[in-house]
Amino acid sequence: MIRVAAIGDVHFSEDSRGRFRAQWERTHESADVLLLAGDLTQHGDPAQAEALADELEGIGVPVVAVLGNHEHHEGHEEQVRQVLERRGVRVLEGEVTTLDLGGRTLGIAGTKGFGGGFVGACCHKFGEPLMKAFVQHTEELAARLRENLASLDTDHRVALLHYSPVEATLVGERLEIYPFLGSYLLGEAIDAAGADLVLHGHAHRGSEKGVTPGGVPVRNVAFPVLRHAFAIYQLEEPRRLAKTA
Amino acid sequence: MTSDEHYLIGHIQDVLSADPRTCKQDITIYIREGTLWLMGQTSTEERRQTIESVVVELAPDMGVRNEIRVLEVLPPTEAEIIPP
Repeated sequence: MIRVAAIGDVHFSEDSRGRFRAQWERTHESADVLLLAGDLTQHGDPAQAEALADELEGIGVPVVAVLGNHEHHEGHEEQVRQVLERRGVRVLEGEVTTLDLGGRTLGIAGTKGFGGGFVGACCHKFGEPLMKAFVQHTEELAARLRENLASLDTDHRVALLHYSPVEATLVGERLEIYPFLGSYLLGEAIDAAGADLVLHGHAHRGSEKGVTPGGVPVRNVAFPVLRHAFAIYQLEEPRRLAKTA
Repeated sequence: MTSDEHYLIGHIQDVLSADPRTCKQDITIYIREGTLWLMGQTSTEERRQTIESVVVELAPDMGVRNEIRVLEVLPPTEAEIIPP
């Protein structure tokens, strides 16, 4: 059994200092790892990433993150990543990491993901180059996510995203903006490769719980949805058959 | 609401989204009898006030009613069991 703590959309800045500290410094009491589902900063200023790293200092569990669209706003996403990695946060951008947590292994495939919408109401690679590029970006990230998840040979596998792979966790948002909140291509990739759990953020007015068409649980852990310092998901072991005489 | 007021809301939401002081895409705005009503939630009192200040800059002749709520960080709850 592995206990995964997760939170997204904490949007750190100087004025955020101390908001999460009292809860985060006790993370090790209730979880084995903390996953951050993007929008870590207010607008991608490396100083904001430093403020977040200070808040996470010494919490006693590994921290793994993906970046969100806010980290891209000022074009300093690489510096944000460097700050966080220097301070011990593993940042996944189309990458994987494997953790040994008390003898059980957890594989995490992380990507920001992107938009495009959902089956029956989505963007297509048609018309203007900008529209084609929009869809192409999501296709590329989804293909990488699929490869990365499939490459993980661990006891448990988690997909860590910023954008949503399903509509269910967007319920509460206006339907008109669903194409900017996620894409079914991400869900398709997860269902093809398999995972125990998908975590994402981005949709502040969305809902916590959903599921992919293939049956993988999806959780929107955006802070405005959870309103807690983090949520905890306990990944159970497969039940072993009793030996018979 | 007049057409001018309608488009003003659109432009204010554009600025609130992209301005580094706010970076806020989920503020709902209404105009009622010359007053801008701001609704939504944010992380700190400082950000709540900054949003209002930016709106005042954009519409200095209008009243502003700030109903944005500051979210408290609650302790984590019990773990959810995710079956294999």
